[in-house]
Amino acid sequence: MNSKSKVPCIPIEGSISWEDWLKGRRYRRELGNRVAPGVIRRKSSSSDRRLKKLFNGERGLPFTPTEKL
Amino acid sequence: MDAKKIRKALADISAEQDPTVKSAKLASLCSALWAEQGVQLVVVGGSAIEILTEGAYASGDLDMCHATAATLPIVQRKEIMALLDAKGGPRNWQVAGMYLDLLGPVESFARTPYRRVEAPYGSFLLMKPEDLLVERVLISVYPGENQAARDCAKKFIAVILGGVIEVNWDEVRRLAKLPEYRNLLECVKLVKEVADELKIKSPLHPD
Repeated sequence: MNSKSKVPCIPIEGSISWEDWLKGRRYRRELGNRVAPGVIRRKSSSSDRRLKKLFNGERGLPFTPTEKL
Repeated sequence: MDAKKIRKALADISAEQDPTVKSAKLASLCSALWAEQGVQLVVVGGSAIEILTEGAYASGDLDMCHATAATLPIVQRKEIMALLDAKGGPRNWQVAGMYLDLLGPVESFARTPYRRVEAPYGSFLLMKPEDLLVERVLISVYPGENQAARDCAKKFIAVILGGVIEVNWDEVRRLAKLPEYRNLLECVKLVKEVADELKIKSPLHPD
């Protein structure tokens, strides 16, 4: 699987560029979605009060849909 | 970083509506400002996993720790965060339309380096995936079954097995045997489960 991937890797040594990180977003999302549901943000936490106040009743900004990554 | 550049960065981050990009840009800006004072910050926990995986897991807060031995005195922290028009403090800040939690010294057992992203306002560090993986598997089963943590761990493993996050599996094995975790069997089992779903061989499998 690794050898076939043309998507930039986040390496152990060195760094990944911003452009490469952006470029890999969709593939990383798609990989995760193959083994678990799309959005897995927790329903609640000890930070709920402040989060819901800032994000209009939500716990954060909505995630960008996979097709738009 | 001069005031004009900070204002421009802040406007960009405030306007950013993608939660993961917003987190990454804020980590970049804060890391640059704190580095000027000799403190190296690192993104930890679910925030780090989100940036590594796009797993749609994190909430609207960014968790960072300091990787250098000492942090800054509260007054100096407030001075830096004032440059960002941040509200609150000294550990929890509202800044650029999200929350930033500065949690204290980082806790890492892995001997691999922090991962680094070159971002628009300077590079920032991410917690080591070897630590994150073993910890997330632990949270998924201890103190009880935790489905959100399990889904998060599975996505994380899938992205690693997909070859887009480089991980030292020997180090994963070593960490999972430490007294702090003692969860090698759980790690082997979950990595195999994900590998089977992706129809590839598990790197943690004994043969």
